[in-house]
Amino acid sequence: MEAMVVKQPQPVTIAFDVMGTDHGPAEVVRGAAQLSLDSPNIHALLVGDRTLIDNALAEVKHNGERISVQHAADFVGMDEKPGEALARKPHASVAVAARLVAEGEAQALVSAGNTGAGVLACARHFQLIPGVRRAALATVYPTRSVRGAKEDPFSLILDVGATVEATADDLVTFAVMGSQYARIISRNERPKVALLSNGVEPQKGPPRVVEAHARLSAMTDINFIGNVEGIDIPKGTADVIVTDGFVGNVCLKMLEGVHETVVELAQYAYKESLRWRAGLAMLSSGIQRIKDITDWNQYGGAPILGFDRIFIKAHGRSKARAIANAGKVAAKVVANNLGNSIREGLLK
Amino acid sequence: MSLPDRIDPRPPRRIYRWDLDKTYLQTDFDSLRDLLRTAFQKAHEKVAVPGASALIRELSENGDSRLCIVSGSPKQMRAVLEEKLKLDGVRWDEFVLKDNVGNLLRGRFRALRGQVGYKLPAILESRVKAPAEAEEVLFGDDAEADAFIYSLFADLIAGRVDERVLSQVLEAGGVYPDDAERVRAAWKQIPVSDPVRRIFIHLDKLTPPAHFTPYGPRVVPIFNYFQAALVLLADGHLSAPQVLKIAVEMVQTAGHNIITLSNSFQDLLRRGLPLQQAAVALSQALEGPNKLLAAMRPMPDILSAFSKRLAALGTPPPPPPVQAVDYVSLIHHALPRNHKGRGKPPT
Repeated sequence: MEAMVVKQPQPVTIAFDVMGTDHGPAEVVRGAAQLSLDSPNIHALLVGDRTLIDNALAEVKHNGERISVQHAADFVGMDEKPGEALARKPHASVAVAARLVAEGEAQALVSAGNTGAGVLACARHFQLIPGVRRAALATVYPTRSVRGAKEDPFSLILDVGATVEATADDLVTFAVMGSQYARIISRNERPKVALLSNGVEPQKGPPRVVEAHARLSAMTDINFIGNVEGIDIPKGTADVIVTDGFVGNVCLKMLEGVHETVVELAQYAYKESLRWRAGLAMLSSGIQRIKDITDWNQYGGAPILGFDRIFIKAHGRSKARAIANAGKVAAKVVANNLGNSIREGLLK
Repeated sequence: MSLPDRIDPRPPRRIYRWDLDKTYLQTDFDSLRDLLRTAFQKAHEKVAVPGASALIRELSENGDSRLCIVSGSPKQMRAVLEEKLKLDGVRWDEFVLKDNVGNLLRGRFRALRGQVGYKLPAILESRVKAPAEAEEVLFGDDAEADAFIYSLFADLIAGRVDERVLSQVLEAGGVYPDDAERVRAAWKQIPVSDPVRRIFIHLDKLTPPAHFTPYGPRVVPIFNYFQAALVLLADGHLSAPQVLKIAVEMVQTAGHNIITLSNSFQDLLRRGLPLQQAAVALSQALEGPNKLLAAMRPMPDILSAFSKRLAALGTPPPPPPVQAVDYVSLIHHALPRNHKGRGKPPT
């Protein structure tokens, strides 16, 4: 049979943990369905309750050629303790999805469910990249400056909780992993990498931070700009901010708290006085613009770095757009072979 | 006259009815520019939906079948459309096109876009000439009213729709009185039988499959013609090697691959179509004497992917129940898209 062979880019399959999110399975299914329409080379493997997935899928525009389903009877809820829940529910959707990625049925995992369960499922099914001692959970934070060819308004903070006590070795590894990730996702050839400390001077901070500073300063392949303080995070002084999981998590929660307080204060001001209400109304277009620029839905999710497979953790409150974007981020990471980049970066 | 010349051809055992635009041909007519480009395309510039011509050729290979095409394209395009079909190796028995110029000259503007008053009488009149026992499989798309018209056609000749409902539908569908009379006249000539086995709706616009649930399990929305081939294998219209040939053509010419084909297979399983045996038949076909098929990659991988997709679903849910179609409440599915009532649920 003579026929012309049509060459297409390599397809990528992304496993989506459909269950356990704040908005329910339908929102994840909608996101994957949107992805099936937008991205011809991305295939979605939806892992979760088959009936719920089928019902949601039947109601939404999608391309059935690019979606498949893996039934998983259980799921880990947001309020469950990860270790206990996974022990009790070996067929939880996140565990099944991680196993499928480990077995090569999919090349990456996206989950908007319980973060701890996601990290634990990956730790059980994936391998650490040679040279990486501990994985790092990254997050993105909106800043006032943009970075890379994509003019990405987000900086990357890692670790925010996977490795509570990081050594100097770990911090250096986090810097390499974060730098490679930013290079791929933000198309930022030389991302500025900084260590989070209590002062910009090289000798500031606990011994592990001082040691990491010295070692990173000697590495020519990383654009290390030294130490930054907490105030520099929202300013966007660095593209990648490296810290340990304990400090990173405290920092992230504080930033979220500040954001919520500002919103509450604005709501209070809106109700309190007609003059303030008028002022807020006049600022509304500017506020909307800031909201659009810093809308994390456009980013989708942040990675767990250090494993040989890709895991993108989407926010628990993710809606369809964020899920679709998390899928695109995952596919981009796969296509650019992040694991190899990190491996090579660690060898230098 | 020699003896063989006097022997009539065998009556068709199966009739396959096809729409053309968006069902067989990849056609854009959503804007005026698309419409003009389509009108002036030459035969070799027209592109068939992947797998469609292979499916038609394999269905005709079985003999005793008729291919009837009823398209909303204007009669003036007959030459170029026939040339395209010939280029694709498709042979047809009936080819009906719309008399848009005639409608325009007679001031029948509703008929220019209306489908019920055009397709329903055309396929009923075609059925008048068919043997009562001939089975039918119909192919349409989600751009027009095909699911509605084909289902109504099936239920009319099966006696499941009465004259009162038909009148209500024809009136709500804006059908001109002479076309309505043609519908009634043809219908009365057709002996009551239940020949329509399947109605395939090619999801050109990717309409959510649940949109077609009101028509019951006879209507099968499909993302590609590999899906149609799988269902026709399960229904006994195609053999496993024929389905493999269609799949191979889609892989070799249209960029389909293991993932798209296995996902398509699972998509049908999830919608309750009984295809487990079809997968077994495909496996057996590859083990059979047809070495050509066995040598063609990535077929073995696709079957392995089928098994995985099947196992991924766990226990299958019960098949969808048979249901009556409420045509009066679904008439909004059959109205032209700019019509006020289109897309709105009945009140």
